[in-house]
Amino acid sequence: MKGKTILKERLPDFIDELIRENLVFAPVKRENITCFDEISASDEVHLNLQNTKKPSKDVLLPKCEPLLLFEAKDKKVEVKEPKISDARRILFGIRPCEARGFNVFDKAFTSDEFKDVYYMKRRENAIVIGMACLKPSPTCFCTSVGGSPFSREGSDLLLVDLGDRYFVDVITEKGEEVIEKTRLFKDAEKRDIDAAEKAAKEAEASIKTRIRLEGIQDKLSKMFDDPSWDDLHQKCVGCGVCTFLCPTCYCFDIVDESYGFEMRRVRVWDTCQFPLFTQQASGVNPRPSGKERMRQRIMHKFSYFPEVHGEIACIGCGRCIRECPVNFDIREVLKSIM
Amino acid sequence: MSLETSLREIARKLLEEGQVDVIIGYEKGSLPLQTTPCFIDDADDVDRLVWNESCGNNLAKYLVDRKDKAGVVAKGCDARSIVMLVVEKQVERDKVVIIGVPCSGIIDRRKIVETLEGREMLEATIKGDKVVVNVEGSEEVFAKEQFLCESCQTCEHRNAPIYDVFVGEKAKETKSMGETSLSELEKMTASERWSFFKRELGKCIRCYACREVCPLCYCEECFVDQTMPSWLGKTDDESEVMFYHVTRALHLAGRCVDCGACSRACPMGINLRNLNRRVEKRVKELYNYEAGLSFEETPPLATFKLNDPQEFIK
Repeated sequence: MKGKTILKERLPDFIDELIRENLVFAPVKRENITCFDEISASDEVHLNLQNTKKPSKDVLLPKCEPLLLFEAKDKKVEVKEPKISDARRILFGIRPCEARGFNVFDKAFTSDEFKDVYYMKRRENAIVIGMACLKPSPTCFCTSVGGSPFSREGSDLLLVDLGDRYFVDVITEKGEEVIEKTRLFKDAEKRDIDAAEKAAKEAEASIKTRIRLEGIQDKLSKMFDDPSWDDLHQKCVGCGVCTFLCPTCYCFDIVDESYGFEMRRVRVWDTCQFPLFTQQASGVNPRPSGKERMRQRIMHKFSYFPEVHGEIACIGCGRCIRECPVNFDIREVLKSIM
Repeated sequence: MSLETSLREIARKLLEEGQVDVIIGYEKGSLPLQTTPCFIDDADDVDRLVWNESCGNNLAKYLVDRKDKAGVVAKGCDARSIVMLVVEKQVERDKVVIIGVPCSGIIDRRKIVETLEGREMLEATIKGDKVVVNVEGSEEVFAKEQFLCESCQTCEHRNAPIYDVFVGEKAKETKSMGETSLSELEKMTASERWSFFKRELGKCIRCYACREVCPLCYCEECFVDQTMPSWLGKTDDESEVMFYHVTRALHLAGRCVDCGACSRACPMGINLRNLNRRVEKRVKELYNYEAGLSFEETPPLATFKLNDPQEFIK
């Protein structure tokens, strides 16, 4: 393990250095909501939050994104493309589960078949500085879906809190470049590496929920018409909390909106939990009730996505469990399937 | 006999005697101070039922469109919602058995979570008027009253006004402890209120949890989802978001029973009740009407009387 360390008291200096040259997004509180947002100073950052209420996904996939602009002028329509920012974005202090989550977006938006230029531009310019989880929440189940509280996947650098200092796991070249630009880091010693490894083991052992999901894709592929969905979906009220707060849910809609003579074509987050998601112009809706919509959420994450991309589209962050208004717990659903 | 035991006995009897096909109640949830709705159709499963201060969901929500006959565990506000659903002909009176439960107010777990500022609530038990919380291994005690949902602080109908069977003794009815956020709002000037609502509703992520948990939001197709024509855009434009919330509040005028389900459901902590409660206060002032107390009375916005007050349309 190649690593560096930085004194805790110097971390704000590091963040402020990053802010000078990049757009930095970090865990903050805005209107009492914990979320990821662009920061202008290091003192805005809250590093003691476990999982923020709102995930960091909108940094790379905004909730509303104009794709085209139109303007009607002198009996002509002018079409303009919005400029996609090529500023370097740093996602600072994101949890390892969320860093892994961006791999799901990458598969969906940067595959050979479909390339989403808007997403790709932001992604190419993004640097992910993860913060290892020392105290996973009771709702965390990352180890059941292939992750871990210290997962390196998706991060360029991974920070580990060692009390008076952070151990910094330098994972990619991009990460190394960030470190090289500053004098705040020094080479890690053996005791730092040992302490980080010990913390990793302890954090992993502290995760209580263990669901064996081997073979779930096969199981689900035979369960489309299974009667168990009838019972499982009953309490789900069909709101969009679970999907909008999910770091891996990326489904969107494209709408045209006009303001006087100006129009814009906008990509907006959408959710399979709403009837409109599959409403067809003919009047038919292939997912007419909550049962089909709730089943879709499970199927997409644990059957269809793995089938197409070889990976489960859930990172086990537990946001959908914590925020569901009726305590619909995805862990219970998974257990009942297995 | 504890309330829970009596509740389970009543549920068992209703199921065994075939008086209902299903009991809609609460069972233990997967988070501290959280229960979850359950649907029990087998008398052998009634021991799953629980009744306590974390039974927040308004289960009347699940009655619309049911073909079977359901017994519903109902707090005062839930029962009032059922009454409204019957009045508005969404639920047939003889298809529902209202199981009244004595309610002393529901704990707003989000308020506790917020108070802990990121520290994890591992377990919680309610002991009398105290909530004992295990916060990352150490015990912290809170006064229950301090963490009651706002709608429970002003509640004056703790027991179902209309019921078929009641579990245990009725709860003592109390006078409102006084409006908190609403009275602050009423003191503001119109422009202060406008900025307040702009800021509050600016948090909305348009998940529609408020609508989905509301028993009176049963429109087959909400105006938000209509596409021919499309009344409302889908972006996070301020005017769109406000249009939704204001329209919803007005559509609930004279119908909302102030169960507080919308505020509890909002993942962003928007106190939606500020809108609905204000509208209900006006309905009370103008028409002396409170929703969900009687099957006979016609809701004021569904009727017309020559002597209706009309100052507000001048």
